[in-house]
This record gives sequence, C-alpha cells and structure tokens, in this order.
Amino acid sequence: MQGKLRVRNNIRKLRFFAGEMTQQELAEKAGVSRQTIIAMEADKYSPSLELAFRIALAFGVSITEVFECETTGANT
Amino acid sequence: MSYQEKKTITSLVSGLVLMVAYAVNAWLRYRAGTAPAADLTLWAGLMLRYIGLGIIVTILVQILFHILLSVGVAVKAKIRDADCDDKGIERSIKQEMVEDERDKLIQLKSLRSGFIMAGMGFFFALISLLLGHPPVVMLNIMFFSFYAGSLLEGLAQLYYYRKGL
Repeated sequence: MQGKLRVRNNIRKLRFFAGEMTQQELAEKAGVSRQTIIAMEADKYSPSLELAFRIALAFGVSITEVFECETTGANT
Repeated sequence: MSYQEKKTITSLVSGLVLMVAYAVNAWLRYRAGTAPAADLTLWAGLMLRYIGLGIIVTILVQILFHILLSVGVAVKAKIRDADCDDKGIERSIKQEMVEDERDKLIQLKSLRSGFIMAGMGFFFALISLLLGHPPVVMLNIMFFSFYAGSLLEGLAQLYYYRKGL
C-alpha cells in the first residue's frame, strides 16, 4: 500500500531571503491572488505543477527548493 | 475577507432573499385561493417569473457589488499612496479581482454539493408523488431544491475558502 504523501513548501523562507518579498508581490509574479499564496503558506492548498513552476521562477530557484514532500505510513 | 468570499456572500444573500420572497408569495396566493394546487400552468408561470427576476436581481447586485468594491479599493489605494495615479488604481482593482486555479477548484467542488442537493430534491419530489401529494407539491420541492442547491454551493465555497481544500 502507498503511504500518504504530504507536500510542504518553503515559500515563507524564500520570501524572506528575497528581501522580504510581500505576499502580494509574489502573487503578482505568479499570477494568482494573495489569498492563494496565504493558503499555500499555511499548507492549506497544494498548487498545480504549472503554478509550482511559476512560483519557483518568481524566486529564481528550482522547484525542489520551493516544494518538498514527505511520506507518512509505510510503503508496501 | 477576500474578493471571492465577498462575491459569494453577495450571491448568497440575494439568493436567500429571492427564495424567501417566492415562498411568501406562493404561500399567500395559496392561502388566498388565487393559486389552486391543481392549476399547474399558474404555478409554472409564477416560478418562471421568479427565475427571470432572479437573473435580473443577480446581475444588478453583482454590478453594484463590483462598483462598490472598486470604489473601496480605489479609496484604500489613495490612502496608502496619495500620489497613486489612475493606472495604479486600475492595477489595484485588477489585483483584488484576480481569479486563479484555486478559485476554480473551489467552484467545482462546491458545484458538486449544489448538484447533490438538487438531485436529492428531485428524489424527494418523486417520493411526494408516491405518497399521494398533488403535483404542485412535487413542482415546489424541485424548485426549492434548486434554490437550496445554489445556497449550499455558496456555503460550501465559503467553507473551502476558510478551511482550505
């Protein structure tokens, strides 16, 4: 049986290292609403692959630096 | 509160007002005897009038809501930055009203709740016929279930916006 996959992100940390980029600025760069950025930071929304790439591009880093996944439960 | 939440609440309130207006109107007509249960043509006409009224009210309320929201955003932008020009204000309004993939996903998920409610209404309408109630009861159950479905859709949207997907 597959374990449960949980996608986490480092958006808050990356915003800080990008000169304390605001949620609104990131939202504008990624073409989404500020509420979507807030939901992602609170782990309440997992973005589509396209949006994930757009966020990574906004920070100028690779997608794996923005998103990471952790599995819970054993993979059998 | 986000733009989408405000828009949903506006739709919910206008939908609720229309549903109550129909219920009161239908009940008063039925009690006064001007809308007998057997006269299905009259009931169909009444429902169609409310559907038309619903469309007009929804359009007007949404126009009014967007005007007020735009004014609010413009005032906020001016307070934040007194030198903000028209283009800056226009940009702020566009940013406020942006609709993205999360909004579309929430709409789809809540639409499912609305369809379930409408489907249940159809089911109960058929049951009412089986129990020997007049066809007008069936018609009204179906009509109310569509309204209730649209209200549930709005409530589900608010839930997903608050609690997350």
